[in-house]
Amino acid sequence: MAVAARVPPRARRRGGPWLRRLWSPVGATQGLARVMLVAGFVTTLFFLVIAIFARWIAPYGYTQYEVHGVRFAELTHPSGAHLFGTTVESDDVLSRVIWGAQTELKVVVLSLVLALAVGVPLGLLSGYFGSVLDRGLVLVMDALFAFPPLLLAIVIAFLLGSTVGSGIFTAAFAITVTYVPQYFRVVRNHVISVREEPYVDAARALGARPLTVIRKYVFFNVVQNVPVIATLNAADAILTLAGLGFLGYGIQPTQGAEWGYDVQRGLSDATNGIWWTGVFPGVAIVVLVTGITLLGEGLNETINPVLRRRRFGRILFDPLGSAEALVEEQSL
Amino acid sequence: MTGTSLKAYALTRLALVVPMVWILLTLVFLLMRVAPGNPISAALGGHAAPSVIEAITHRLGYDKPMYVQYGDYLWGVLHGDLGHTITDRRAVSSIIVQNGGATLELTVFASLIALGVGLLVGLLAGRYRDTWLDVGGRLFGIVAYATPVFFLGFLAQLVFGIWLGWLPTSGQDSPLTDAFLRIHTHILIIDAIWDGDPGALGDILKHLILPATTLGIVYAGIFIRLVRVNVIRSLKDDYVEAARARGIRERSVVYHYAFRNALVPVVTVVGLQLALLLGGAILTEETFNWPGIGSTLVTYLADRDYAGVQGIVIVFALVVVIASLVIDFVNAFVDPRIRY
Amino acid sequence: MGRRKWRWLLAGSAAAATAAAAVLATSAYGGHKASNILLDGTTETVTNIDPAGNYDYGTATVDYMIFNRLLAAGPGKNLAPHPELATKCYSVGGLKTWACNLRKGVKFSNGDAFTSADVKFSFDRTIKIADPSGISSLLTNLKSTTTSGPYKVVFHLKHAQSTWPQVLTTTAGSMIVDHKVYPADKILPSTSSQVGTGPYVLTRYTPGVSAVFTPNPHYWGPKPKNSGLVITYYKDSATMKLALQAGTLDMAFDAFAPTDLISLHKSSAVKVYVGAGSGIRYLVLDVGKQARKLGVPTGKLAVRQALAYLMPRQTIASRVYHGQVSPLYSMVAKGLPGHIDAFKTLYGAKPSLAKARAVLKKAHIKTPLKFTIWYTPSHYGAASADEYAEIQRALDKGGLFHITLQTAEWSQYVNTLGTTKGVFQLGWFPDYVDGEDYINPFYPKGQFLQNGYNDPKMNRLQIKEEGAKTAKARIAVLKQEQMLAARDVPIIPYWQNQMVAVARKNVKGITSTLDPTYIMRFWLLSKS
Repeated sequence: MAVAARVPPRARRRGGPWLRRLWSPVGATQGLARVMLVAGFVTTLFFLVIAIFARWIAPYGYTQYEVHGVRFAELTHPSGAHLFGTTVESDDVLSRVIWGAQTELKVVVLSLVLALAVGVPLGLLSGYFGSVLDRGLVLVMDALFAFPPLLLAIVIAFLLGSTVGSGIFTAAFAITVTYVPQYFRVVRNHVISVREEPYVDAARALGARPLTVIRKYVFFNVVQNVPVIATLNAADAILTLAGLGFLGYGIQPTQGAEWGYDVQRGLSDATNGIWWTGVFPGVAIVVLVTGITLLGEGLNETINPVLRRRRFGRILFDPLGSAEALVEEQSL
Repeated sequence: MTGTSLKAYALTRLALVVPMVWILLTLVFLLMRVAPGNPISAALGGHAAPSVIEAITHRLGYDKPMYVQYGDYLWGVLHGDLGHTITDRRAVSSIIVQNGGATLELTVFASLIALGVGLLVGLLAGRYRDTWLDVGGRLFGIVAYATPVFFLGFLAQLVFGIWLGWLPTSGQDSPLTDAFLRIHTHILIIDAIWDGDPGALGDILKHLILPATTLGIVYAGIFIRLVRVNVIRSLKDDYVEAARARGIRERSVVYHYAFRNALVPVVTVVGLQLALLLGGAILTEETFNWPGIGSTLVTYLADRDYAGVQGIVIVFALVVVIASLVIDFVNAFVDPRIRY
Repeated sequence: MGRRKWRWLLAGSAAAATAAAAVLATSAYGGHKASNILLDGTTETVTNIDPAGNYDYGTATVDYMIFNRLLAAGPGKNLAPHPELATKCYSVGGLKTWACNLRKGVKFSNGDAFTSADVKFSFDRTIKIADPSGISSLLTNLKSTTTSGPYKVVFHLKHAQSTWPQVLTTTAGSMIVDHKVYPADKILPSTSSQVGTGPYVLTRYTPGVSAVFTPNPHYWGPKPKNSGLVITYYKDSATMKLALQAGTLDMAFDAFAPTDLISLHKSSAVKVYVGAGSGIRYLVLDVGKQARKLGVPTGKLAVRQALAYLMPRQTIASRVYHGQVSPLYSMVAKGLPGHIDAFKTLYGAKPSLAKARAVLKKAHIKTPLKFTIWYTPSHYGAASADEYAEIQRALDKGGLFHITLQTAEWSQYVNTLGTTKGVFQLGWFPDYVDGEDYINPFYPKGQFLQNGYNDPKMNRLQIKEEGAKTAKARIAVLKQEQMLAARDVPIIPYWQNQMVAVARKNVKGITSTLDPTYIMRFWLLSKS
């Protein structure tokens, strides 16, 4: 692929080929595009660190209401003792926002892994083998795609909530279902275009078994698009989770701190002058989703040769390349 | 392009809709029935003894085997009967007529705002790429997209409704307008114009501003992104380069060639984004107490009203299916390369 | 695009903007005289307006405007059943047969005369239709209804019931409809025009949006003090509160979120009216075999009593509800005849960790006891989450219990009650304001909680209470039942609400309709 065609000399010294490959497009950016990419990266990293180390960073637990037997006051203004104030349950808002980052991370990672684990193999098989399997799968996926994603997530979360019980897994699964068709589509369409490539043909002609061809030649080619989509979907997943939480079909307050739920609870407070319970988790959603989107768009732009503004003059790129298709899939 | 091939394409595409709708109906039916929980006991609100619940369940046929219910359901749909809700005995078709108007009003105006904002910001950002205008426009688009519609909606209610007191914060019109406006179409704007009632029209428009803008701005984020990318791409297209080579002024190149070409895919996307728009409409309607199908759906979902949820979910999905069908036709008509 | 085109476009949009501004600036009300039309808001929902098809507060509120009952309860202190469409109801030869003499000269809103045929028709169809959302379950004791001339009906019951007049005050089939208009075997759709004898006519109903009422020209009683009523339906109390503060609404009569109510109390634009409430909240404990099956320790009496010792009533009332509810120490709401603070007598007014520990120790029960408590997150308001956080904290604190909380949305939650949930939250709002309606649905045989409680002594008391000849004798039995219930603890009641109405200052007469029946009699209100 064209992506790694030119590597800035700086990057060459670090890491193995994998890291270099990852770094190269970033190194190739310049000016504002780079600023946005870096800003997105830093924001995402910031939340990632908070999420992973919530236990040590958060001043209190997300349902902690007292310390050494002394109860926190409820609905106190942001102050030195509670930087973001406290809720009606005397929970510390700052702690809930920090623990909320962990909840988001868990749900997003789980849902992406699930969506990839289901969507990518199905797309590969469907695209490679075609015929009845392909037609059937496309039909089902299109049917799923016809649902507004949030609606599908609500219905799934609602149903799972009554059988399995609500929680992180349920929320993640509800979100997964809405993304499977996307991965399936992208991967399938790409496989179809790759399938006819000379090197794949050659491999087939040499007598490689279908699964080997998929694994060795098609998969690697196709899967390069996935990180960008995954990044942008992560942003979307956070919004979907917040939407679920807002409607009361997400994670319940005792199972974990969740921003969407906290915003919903905070909204009624806000009309009464208690702005801090809803605004902080709301802003957290906005900032994190913005960060991830910046990162995703930046990656997309640097990987995508059409959009990239190159440092070193023209580089030949694969005109039927995936990245262009990717932009379309992305924005669709 | 020959007429027969377009016709053949249209027929295949239409034929594909049938199994798709069937799959949709089946999916929704299964989803609503696999989980435990019973619309009857929810409707009785925890008052009734188990024997009473059993008797009513039996009378309504909810204890029949699943495949019989499924058959009954498909049979009904085939005859254009989407069923009646269990909790308040409304015909699903009447829900679509009565509440659909509100959703239509909201989504149409939100789309207009999204298109307006999206085109303007997207074109500017794409044209003045890598300047601060671009960064500002893109950031605006990304933040707009990153803001949950209910959060933005609430901030808007707080600022424009409470602090400034300029605009009403909820509902489709004020109670008195609602009481006296004569209903012709269930699309209140049209009804007010029909009756030549400027007072009512003003009231309705005032109520529309916040919800439509909220949904529109969030939705605009997508357009900004798309239009910008398209402008950048078409500015690099061969014939744009060719136009430049011919010595046509850059300004003219941009307006005549690049923008126009950048807009074609946008039209397609308006249709394809319908699913997303409808999803956003559910949250917007919830936030602004907007009496559309989305908020109605949430109510029936909470009441576990199978019939109501089934009917509304299918309507949502059908709208998306039909929209994508229409777009495919339009595209096939415009661009002869597109065939299956 | 040329320069000129741009200029035209600019001019065009400027003109359009001016026009839009002009339209927006004109009166919002389309010139309608709005002075004395009352604008009410609620977050309740409406099921079927047809009286045979509803058993919920939101719909009953609509029905009270357009229909009448045979007997009424309230307003004010006059809570005993008294005549509305009937002039007198009395038992004939024992408590198994009841007769009602009917008011003469009453007309329906369409001009039809009201006779005993309409009464019989209304009761018969409610039982026959047995709508899933309907109230027919309150009429299970009614065997048949017969007429005796145009102005007398006779009810034949399956077994003696001294509180039959109370049942007649509920919406159960006693909302009398015109037999010429309503179908005998199915619900009349809510969007069809409804015909009743009440003070108002429902002139327009848009599901989920609004209900519009105008005075009934044929009404037999005093005319409403306002010239009409619009009820607007809201999804949540925060948006409704905003509408109230912005002046879009004149009043709202509803369960506001606790923080909303605090700020409404502070608001100078509106006045908050508080009256005695009759709604209660309670925790159900599975007993006996069923508790064992579900793995909760509440099968043992000592555990249930320990829980009763620890229930943090004060904390919930003050911290979660900011004093908008009051601690409740019996299933029967305070303020009703026969109420006694049974739980206070047996377990004290405040939680006692020492006593809880002692009762567990005496029964040789190992602690901490781990189990799950269920609540439903939105049906009883979002504050339920806070309420149960407090209960969890109170129980966990002494180390006797280790509670996990679990939730389910109402529709699943209510489905199986005690058969799948060992310990769970519920609320109750009485069908008629009498202690009996807080005992019979919960404790004796056939109770709907399905928590496995079935005590022969309680069952005997029920029969004794229903057949009691005098009010005094009946109340004595009710007290016995409350004490027994508190001792066995299959249920721990913990708070009782208040009736809250919020109105702008120009709305008059609200205090005249605040009483435990919870009926907002809009016809008594006026706007100045």
